[in-house]
Amino acid sequence: MDAVERENQDRQKRWAKEQKVGEGAYAVVYRGREFSTGRRVAIKKIKVGQFKDGLDMSAIREVKYLRELKHQNVIELLDVFSNKTNLNLVLEFLDSDLEMIIKDRSLVFLPADIKSWMAMTFRGLEFCHRNFILHRDLKPNNLLIASDGQLKIADFGLARDFADPGFKMTCQVITRWYRPPELLFGSRYYSSAVDIWSLGCIFAELMLRTPYLAGESDMDQLKTIFRALGTPTEQEWPGHTKLPDYVPVGQFPKTPLRDLFTAASADTLNLLSKCLLYEPRKRLSASEALQHPYFFAIPHPTHPSKLPKCTTQMAPRPLGEVDGNVDMVGSGPGVKAAAPNKGRLKRKITSPLDDPKTRSIARKLDFTKHVKSP
Amino acid sequence: MATKSNYGWLQGRTVRKGGHASSNSHTRSSTPQVQSTSTTIFGGGIKDPSGRTSEYFSMDDQCPVCKSDRYLNPKLRLLVSSCYHKMCESCIDRLFTLGPASCPNCDKILRKLAFSPQTFEDLGVEKEVAVRRRIAKEFNKRLEDFDDLRSYNDYLEEVEDIAFNLINNIDIPATEERIAAYKAANAALTSLNLQREEAEALALKEQEDLERREREARAAQLAQQEQQEREERQREERELIDKLETSQKDAHKIVAKSRIAAAKRSSARAASSSANSSLLGMSFGMDYAKLLKTRTTKVNNVPDEPHVPFLDDYYAYDDLYTVRAEGYDDIISEAVRRDREGIMRAGGYKVEEAWNRALLTAVAGLDAAPLSGLDEPNSLGDVDVVMESV
Repeated sequence: MDAVERENQDRQKRWAKEQKVGEGAYAVVYRGREFSTGRRVAIKKIKVGQFKDGLDMSAIREVKYLRELKHQNVIELLDVFSNKTNLNLVLEFLDSDLEMIIKDRSLVFLPADIKSWMAMTFRGLEFCHRNFILHRDLKPNNLLIASDGQLKIADFGLARDFADPGFKMTCQVITRWYRPPELLFGSRYYSSAVDIWSLGCIFAELMLRTPYLAGESDMDQLKTIFRALGTPTEQEWPGHTKLPDYVPVGQFPKTPLRDLFTAASADTLNLLSKCLLYEPRKRLSASEALQHPYFFAIPHPTHPSKLPKCTTQMAPRPLGEVDGNVDMVGSGPGVKAAAPNKGRLKRKITSPLDDPKTRSIARKLDFTKHVKSP
Repeated sequence: MATKSNYGWLQGRTVRKGGHASSNSHTRSSTPQVQSTSTTIFGGGIKDPSGRTSEYFSMDDQCPVCKSDRYLNPKLRLLVSSCYHKMCESCIDRLFTLGPASCPNCDKILRKLAFSPQTFEDLGVEKEVAVRRRIAKEFNKRLEDFDDLRSYNDYLEEVEDIAFNLINNIDIPATEERIAAYKAANAALTSLNLQREEAEALALKEQEDLERREREARAAQLAQQEQQEREERQREERELIDKLETSQKDAHKIVAKSRIAAAKRSSARAASSSANSSLLGMSFGMDYAKLLKTRTTKVNNVPDEPHVPFLDDYYAYDDLYTVRAEGYDDIISEAVRRDREGIMRAGGYKVEEAWNRALLTAVAGLDAAPLSGLDEPNSLGDVDVVMESV
C-alpha cells in the first residue's frame, strides 16, 4: 500500500455513507455524515471506470473550482478522496433547489423573498467572478437551498476561469433557456456577462413562476429572446452581425417589460433590463448589481430563515452536475448544453435531448399578446 | 332597506336589458322609465339583491297573441303570465281588464296582476329561478339542524325532488300538498332560520362597511400627505426666489444649499410615511399572514435587515492599484486590441478583466501575514486558508 492509497483511506474514514439519494449517468449521490461531528453531507461518487480516456471533464472542473471557493452562497466542497475505481466528492448537504420552490404552487412569493434570493445569488456569483471563475450553467435547478434558507450556487461542472486574452472558449455552455444571445450566435470570446444574463432569466422566472425565455431549439431560443425583448439593432449591440454563427432571425418590435411584469416596481424592472441588455459589455456586473437601488429599496430582503420552503420532499434529482451532456431523468427545465470535449469543439446542431418526450416545457409565454394595440 | 327592496319596482327602478344600445341607452340613466302603455304597474319578476328587476327585451319581440312586433309598435312590452306564456300589455289590458279570464295559450285562468316582467331570455330559466326562490324561502334547514349528514342529504334530495316536480309540472297537486305538510311541520324552525340568515347578512354588511371606512381613511391620509408636500414645495420655491432676489451671495451656492435642505426634508418625510404605512398595514398584514400558511409555521421574529452589498471588505484592494484607463500595451492582449472587426467586443470579452486579474494577482499577497505553523502539511484545505486570509 503506497502513501497515496493510505492517505485516501484515511480521508474516507472521516465520512460515513448512508443511503443513496440519486443516480445519474456518471455518478451516484449518497447521503452521509461526518463521523466526528455528525454533520450531514452529500457524497458524490463518480464512476471512473466507464471512461476510456480517464475522468470526466466536468468532475475535474467541479473539483478544480470548488476547491478554491468558500463562500456562504456557494456550495462547499468538503473533501475529495478516491479509491481504485471511483472518485468521491464530499459536498454540503442541501435540502432543495430553487426550481422546486418555483414549481411548488402552494407557496406564495413576496417581492421581498425574490429580492432576498436574488441578493444571495448575486453575492455567490460575485464571489465566483471576483475569483475569476465563470459558472456557465446558472439556472434555478442549480441554485440549492440550505435548511436555514441560504441559497447556494452549485454544479461547477461547466465552470472555467476567465480566458486569457485571445483564447477561445466553447459557446456550447449554459442550459438553453438561460443562454445569452452572444453564445447562441457562437461567440468564442465572452466574459462574466454570460452569467449575468442567466441571472436575469432566473429573476424573471421568480416573478413569473414559469421559465421566461423557453425556446425549443437553439434557433427558437433566439427567436424567443427577440420576441420578448425586441430584435437588437447595430446601435444597441455593435458588431453582433459579425459573430460566427450570426443568422438574421426576423424583426421583432421592442415591448416594454412592464407589459409582462405588471406588478413589478420600477427598480425591479430597471435591474432586470440591465441584466438582459444585448450588448454584453454594458450588462451589469455582479458587484454593480449588488449596489443597485432595487436591493436597498423597501421592502428589505426577507431574512433567509423566513423564506418560503418546499413542502414536498426532495425527489432524487437528476445528476446534472456530473453527466454534463445529458439529463438522464430529464425533469430539469430544458436541455443542458453539450459538455465541451477537448479536441471536439465543433458546434453540434442538435443535442441528444431534443427528443420531445424528455423535454418538459411548462408553459410557453406568448409575448405577442403583450403587444399593446395603438 | 326592506321597504326599499319591496317597492323598488314602484319607483320605476326597472332596467331594461338587451336590444339596441342606442334605443335603450336612456333607460340606463339615474331614473330609468319603463315605457309602459298600460295603466297597471306590473310587479313580480326576478329581483336581484338590490331589489331591481332587469327586464329582457329584444328587437325581434313579437306578441304571440296579437302578432304585433317591435317594428310596428316600438313601445311593445311583453310580460309573462303565471303559466309562463308571453303577451303584450295591450293584449293583457284587452283580455283581463274585466276580471279573470283564460290564457289564450293554455286555458289556465289568469288574473291581470299575476303578470310580471321577464328577466331571462329563456322562460324555462325564468320559471326555474322563480320556483327555486320560492322553495328556498320555505326549505331553509341547515346541516346543523340534523343529527347526521345522512339525514341532511335525504332532506336535500327531497327538496330537489319537489323543485324538479314544480319546474316540470309533474304531479303538481301532490307536490303542493307535500310543501304544505312540510310548512306546517317546520314553521318554527323556518322562521328561526330566516332570522339567522338576516343576522348573518347584517354582520357581513357591517364588516364590509368597516373595510370601506378603513380604505377611505387611508386614502384621505395619503391625500393629506400629498397636499402637505405640495405646499411645502411651493413655499420652498418662493423662499428660494426671494433669497435670489435679495441676497448678495453667489446664486449657485444658494440654489445648492436649498437643494440639500429639500433632499433632507424629503428623506425625513419618506421615513415617517413608511412608518405610518407600516402601522396602517397591520390589520391588512393579519389577513396576509393567513394567506401565507405555507411559510414556516413556527414563530419567527428575525427582522428583515437592509441590504448590504458585500459582506467583506474585498474591494479594499482597489486602494492598492488602479487599472490604467487607456489600457496596456502588452503582448498577451495584442490579439484583443487588434480585433478590428470587433468580434471579441461583440461577444462581450473584456480585456480589462484580464488586466485587472494580472494586477490583482500581483498585489494580492502584499500585506498578508505569512502563515505561521503549517501543522497540516498535507491538507488540501490550505487553498481555503489562503483564500480566506486574502
